[in-house]
Amino acid sequence: METAKRNPGAQNRRAGPGWLVHLAGWLPLAVLVGLILTGNLGFNPVESALRWSGRAAVAFLLLSLTCTPAHRIFHLPGFYRLRKPLGLYAALYAGLHFAAFAIWDYRLDLGLIWAEILNKPFIVLGLIALVILLLLAATSSRRARRILRQAWTWLHRLVYAAGILAVLHYLLAIKGDLFSLQGAYAPPLMASGVLILLLVLRIPQIQQSLRRLLTRA
Amino acid sequence: MEEKRYKSVPVKPEEITPKEIYLSRRRFLRQMGITGMGALLAACAPQALPDTPAPQGAPANGRTDELGNPLTDYEAVTGYCNFYEFTTNKERVDELAQDFVTEPWSVQVEGLVENPLTYSLEEILARFDQEERIYRMRCVEGWSMVIPWTGFPLKQLLDEVQPTAEAQYVAFESALVPEQMDSAASGRFPFPYLEGLRLDEALHDLTLLATGLYGEPLPPQNGAPIRLVVPWKYGFKSIKSIVRIALVAEQPPTLWNTIAPQEYGFYANVNPAVDHPRWSQATERRIGGSARLDTLLMNGYAEEVMPLYEGMDLTLNF
Repeated sequence: METAKRNPGAQNRRAGPGWLVHLAGWLPLAVLVGLILTGNLGFNPVESALRWSGRAAVAFLLLSLTCTPAHRIFHLPGFYRLRKPLGLYAALYAGLHFAAFAIWDYRLDLGLIWAEILNKPFIVLGLIALVILLLLAATSSRRARRILRQAWTWLHRLVYAAGILAVLHYLLAIKGDLFSLQGAYAPPLMASGVLILLLVLRIPQIQQSLRRLLTRA
Repeated sequence: MEEKRYKSVPVKPEEITPKEIYLSRRRFLRQMGITGMGALLAACAPQALPDTPAPQGAPANGRTDELGNPLTDYEAVTGYCNFYEFTTNKERVDELAQDFVTEPWSVQVEGLVENPLTYSLEEILARFDQEERIYRMRCVEGWSMVIPWTGFPLKQLLDEVQPTAEAQYVAFESALVPEQMDSAASGRFPFPYLEGLRLDEALHDLTLLATGLYGEPLPPQNGAPIRLVVPWKYGFKSIKSIVRIALVAEQPPTLWNTIAPQEYGFYANVNPAVDHPRWSQATERRIGGSARLDTLLMNGYAEEVMPLYEGMDLTLNF
C-alpha cells in the first residue's frame, strides 16, 4: 500500500491488514466469476449475482466505516488507513451490482431501466448511494485531496449518507413487510444494527467516555 | 374435443411421458450435440399466436406451451421453489422438504357446501381423471417457468361438494407441520399459508388442482401431494400442500395480502400495467432463458379469463 511505503516506521503494523484487505476485496469477485464460468450460480444466476454483489458492497462499506471509530477509540492507526481500500472495494461491488442490473439483467435497455428507476424508490436510494461511492472513489487520491482541500473533507462525509442509503436499499429489497418485519429481514437488520452502532460511535461525547473507560480499565 | 388455446388434453396416466424418458431423451440429445434441433422443429410447428415470437432455445424434448415457449427443465422446476415453510432460500427447498411426510394425506372440503367431504389422496386420484396441462408460471418476484402439470380442474371437486347459494369465495389452507418444516415456527410469517379465490375464478376451467408434474407425483418442494395452479395469477396464489378447502361468503384472508396488502392484492392477476415496488411486472426472467421477456396480461391467458373481471378496475383490484 502506498501509505506504508511513505511511512516506513509503521510498515510492520500495516503490512498484515493491508494484504488481508486486498485478498478479502478480490475474493468475492473471484468466487462469483468462478461460479459464473462453471455454471454454478444457480437457476436464476442474475438474481444470485445481484445478491452477491450487493451484499459484498454493503459489507465493505460497513467495514470501511468501522475504521475511523475503531481508531479513535482504540488508537489503531494501521486499521484507520484501511478505510480507503475498503471503501474502494465497496464502490467496486456497488458498481458491479449496478452492472448486473443494467447490463446483465436489462441488456442496457435504457427505456426499461429508466422505467424501473422511476417507479421503484428502493432503486433510487441504491443509485444515489452508488453515485456517492463512485464520486468518493474518483476523489480518493492524494492529488484530489490536495486540490479539493476543505471541500474534500465535506465531500467524503457523504460516505455516511451512502451507508444509510445502501442499508435502506437493502431493507426495501427484501420480500415481506418492513413495518411488521415479516420476511427474511435478518441480514439487512444486522447491517442496519452495525450501521447505527457505527454512527453512534461517531458522537464525540460517546468516543470520549469510551476512551475514559478504556484508560481506567 | 374442441380445440382450446391452452393445452387441455385429457390423457390417461399411462400416456404421460415418464420423467426418466424425458431426462434420458434430453441427455441423449445433449450428448449428440443437436439441442438446436428442437428450435428448428419448433420453428416448423404452427403458431397459435403468430404475433407472439417464440422464445429462443427450445429444449431437446421439443415440447412447448401453446405460445411456443419451451418447457422449463425438470431440474429447475424442482430445484428452484418458493416454499417459505421450509426456507426462504429457493434453491434449498428441495433438500429441506425431502422428509416432508405426505402419506397418508387428506383434504377436508367444508364450509358453505351441501355435501362436505374429506378426501384421501387415493380417493382424489381415483375419482378425478388426471390430465396434463402445460402452464406458464409467473412469480411475483419477476421470474417465470413453463411447467407440465398433471391434475384436474378444481371445478370437478367443487361440483361434487356442491357450493350453496351463499358461497362466494373458496379459501385454501396449506399443511403446517413445524416438526418437518424448518422455518414454519420461526414466527416470521403467520402460517398456515392461506389463499383464496372468488368462486367464479375457482370454477374456471384453467384452475387446476395439480397432483403431479413432468408425469410423476409432485415432489415435496413443489407442493406434494396436491396443490392449486392458477396460471393467470402470480405464483403465490397457487397454494401448495393443501389440507383444507372451505367455501365461504366473504373474501377470505390470504397470507401475502395480510402481510403487505399494498404489495400483494387478493386478485394478484398477472398484469404488466400494475407495477410492484420491488420487481418489474412489465418484463420477466424465464428460468433457463437468457434475455428478459415481456410479461403478458393475465400471463397470456387474457382471452380465457378477462370475462371474469368485466367492469372491474384491475389497477384498483390488483
